[in-house]
Amino acid sequence: MAQRQTPSTQTPTLLDSLGEEIVRIVAPVSICMFLVVILVSVLNSGDSSFSVSSIATIAYTETTSDSSWDKFVGALLNSLAFVVVVTVATFLLVLLFYFRCTGFLKIYMGFSAFVILGFLGGEVLIFLIQHFSTPIDCFTFLLLLCNFAVVGVMAVFMSKMPILVTQSYLVVIGILVAYWFTMLPEWTTWAMLVAMALYDLAAVLLPIGPLRLLVELAISRNEEIPALVYEARPVNVENLDPRVAVARRRLWRDRRATENSNLRGDANVNVDNALGLGANAELNHGSDSNRNDPSLAGEGAVLDSNLSSSTSYGTYSDRNLVRAEEGRVQETDSEVTTPLIGHGVNVRMHSRPEDADASDENLMLEGIGLGSSGAIKLGLGDFIFYSVLVGRAAMYDFMTVYACYLAIIAGLGITLMLLALYQKALPALPVSVALGVLFYFLTRLLLEVFVVQCSMNLLMF
Amino acid sequence: MEPPQSQPQVQVQGNSNPNPNPNPNPNPSPIQSTGGIWPTIDGPLGLSEEESVSYARRFYKFGFALLPLLWAVNCFYFWPVLRHSRSFPRIRPYVVGSAVGFAIFSALICTWALTFSIGGERLFGPVWDQLVMYNLADRLGLTAWS
Repeated sequence: MAQRQTPSTQTPTLLDSLGEEIVRIVAPVSICMFLVVILVSVLNSGDSSFSVSSIATIAYTETTSDSSWDKFVGALLNSLAFVVVVTVATFLLVLLFYFRCTGFLKIYMGFSAFVILGFLGGEVLIFLIQHFSTPIDCFTFLLLLCNFAVVGVMAVFMSKMPILVTQSYLVVIGILVAYWFTMLPEWTTWAMLVAMALYDLAAVLLPIGPLRLLVELAISRNEEIPALVYEARPVNVENLDPRVAVARRRLWRDRRATENSNLRGDANVNVDNALGLGANAELNHGSDSNRNDPSLAGEGAVLDSNLSSSTSYGTYSDRNLVRAEEGRVQETDSEVTTPLIGHGVNVRMHSRPEDADASDENLMLEGIGLGSSGAIKLGLGDFIFYSVLVGRAAMYDFMTVYACYLAIIAGLGITLMLLALYQKALPALPVSVALGVLFYFLTRLLLEVFVVQCSMNLLMF
Repeated sequence: MEPPQSQPQVQVQGNSNPNPNPNPNPNPSPIQSTGGIWPTIDGPLGLSEEESVSYARRFYKFGFALLPLLWAVNCFYFWPVLRHSRSFPRIRPYVVGSAVGFAIFSALICTWALTFSIGGERLFGPVWDQLVMYNLADRLGLTAWS
């Protein structure tokens, strides 16, 4: 009897599985950037330079009348202040995690997410309503906003929800925070991006870096850090052994740690080990971000640092987070470990802590990780800073948007390759932000002149 | 004498499943229903059947707190339950209840919103200006970022 191998029954090649995984992480990053660009171009077309006051502008308030040198120095001071605040917040987070205040952290994160979705989302919606003069009444608006915020908090933190819903809400949170950040003054934004990239590099790679400490702490305790992490779907679930599929299903967001007590309960810590084996764990560690929302304001900034651990969204607190990637070392079922490594690559990237401005919310944002099971996790802070870069580029012209988008995606690809090469936690921000900033300035200074001249003389474009 | 012709064996799964979802587990496990499909839309990454019952019930009950979006998420999450009407007898009442609740609620909200936006001032009088969102936002200063 001849057997025919249909494409669906063929063993997926490295290209299929790796390519699919990468697409599943590049797609939401692209969607986030695209929507931020749209928001920026729609809402800022009036060019009302709205400047928000937050921690990032604490040292210097940029006005258009200052000289370039003043703006430059002011921007440096602002970004320095911002990085200092983030560092302090991260160390605070490490301290809280060390004293096992995870309940408090989770509640705080839930509260932050509610404030972001409710208040920040409400502000953006009001801007849109005013811009388009939509005749919506306040009762309907409030009802829809409350629904949106409550379901969002449930999806991200509290309850198991459809993967699509959770991923969408994470992207929405990224969009809202990124839009808010684009309201900062221009020089401060660029200085802040560069400063955060450097901070990320230091915090992840230096032995005294807070993120590294956090990750090691989480690994040693085998606990999970609550965090806002975007997790892509694992590939190749259908081709797995049924018991593996079951175990994977359980791993993927298992909220009831009960039957998985052998799995480490909540830790997102995946320890990065040598490849190929169930024993790989990726460490994802989350970045904490403090988000300060001045609109809520007023109150003093409550900086919370939330550590985000690498796991997938929402499951924290004693759940086994997505461990799909890992093949879970602790999983006693051996079936779970081996087939999950589709391509034998276990890489992890760590991204920088996300820090927000002065308000009270802290987001826990996580780095990027690539699980052995193929589920990639990317911290929300990465989404936010990439989108801030592209949003700020959109405030100048669309040409810079294209250039910065390509630069960021290239940086993401390079970081993934480095991750595969070094097999340890790497920061996801530096390469992309470096390329993005470089391309922005090159485009603005050199390419634009060229393109405009060519177009004016009807030569090209 | 020829042996009886047997039908050429086509690919056979463990259980005869009329449904299109491939059953990854040829031996029905307590996790799946006997129909061999997963109760959630996430498939093998979603919930088991027992967990599904408790989640469906919880979403249904919380939806009564003026959260029609939760009912909609409930229907979306347990879409296979709605599609295959005989497979999950325990989950089905909650999901169908959520669908009905969402339909009613969204009908009410749409009616009210459309009346408000299309009727406008002619229907409501000066109250319309006080209720519409952009005026309210201006009056309360909601768009001042700080």
